Amino acid sequence: MEALFYIFAFIAIFSALMVISMKNPLTSALYLVLCFFALAGFYVLLDMQFLAVMQILVYAGAIMVLVVLVIMLLNISKLNAVKTDFHQKIIGIVIAAVLFAEIVVYTIGGKTKKPTGIFTHEVINKIGNTQVIGKFLFTKYTLSFEIASILLFVAIIGAYLFAKKKL
Amino acid sequence: MNNYLIVAGIIFCIGALGVLMRKNLIIVFMSLELMFNAANLGFVAVSNRLNLISGDVFVIFVMVVAAAEAAVALGIIVAFYREKGTVDMDKANELKN
Repeated sequence: MEALFYIFAFIAIFSALMVISMKNPLTSALYLVLCFFALAGFYVLLDMQFLAVMQILVYAGAIMVLVVLVIMLLNISKLNAVKTDFHQKIIGIVIAAVLFAEIVVYTIGGKTKKPTGIFTHEVINKIGNTQVIGKFLFTKYTLSFEIASILLFVAIIGAYLFAKKKL
Repeated sequence: MNNYLIVAGIIFCIGALGVLMRKNLIIVFMSLELMFNAANLGFVAVSNRLNLISGDVFVIFVMVVAAAEAAVALGIIVAFYREKGTVDMDKANELKN
């Protein structure tokens, strides 16, 4: 388990770095798919197989296919011609480093709460993690579920409006 | 749990770095997806540690929002490319002056 965690962590961080450093957007997209697969591995290690499958289906499947399709629609030589400024790079690295230092300080220095819920490893494995998530989704979070469907409907209309010939 | 949160933090910061550093709109969009995913990993790790399910359910909603955002953002990128002939973020300056 421990070894698997470090392997997935290495793959995820390496491919995330590759995503932002590659010149060609298509290479970045393929590294992003690799990163999503590593994150799906993390979800399996954390007893959430359903989320791992959703990660691969929705992110690595649907969203990345959409991204690759858009890259195909656009002219690839013009995509590669976009340059990055040097001073922008420096400012970005400084801000990201400060953000990361903050996250590390709060993660290491924060107090760990006692577990409050009842869904331990055994309980989740006995009921099945898909059933647990489904039960919560349709009882406690029904309103959020309905609002999510409205959001998807609005997104359909928005995507249609942007895709029209004349804005 | 701390290890998972540190990995989530690293990926989140890499995503933030990509948003700040790159000018290619498509790569900025992909960096945003990285940040979403880092947040998801944090949710799942914490709710696994506290024996809760709420975090895992929230990840589903984040995925819904990410899918909606992907559709609209890619529509905007295609419209921008049609207007300007490039995906350079610096060319989006109509509101200047």
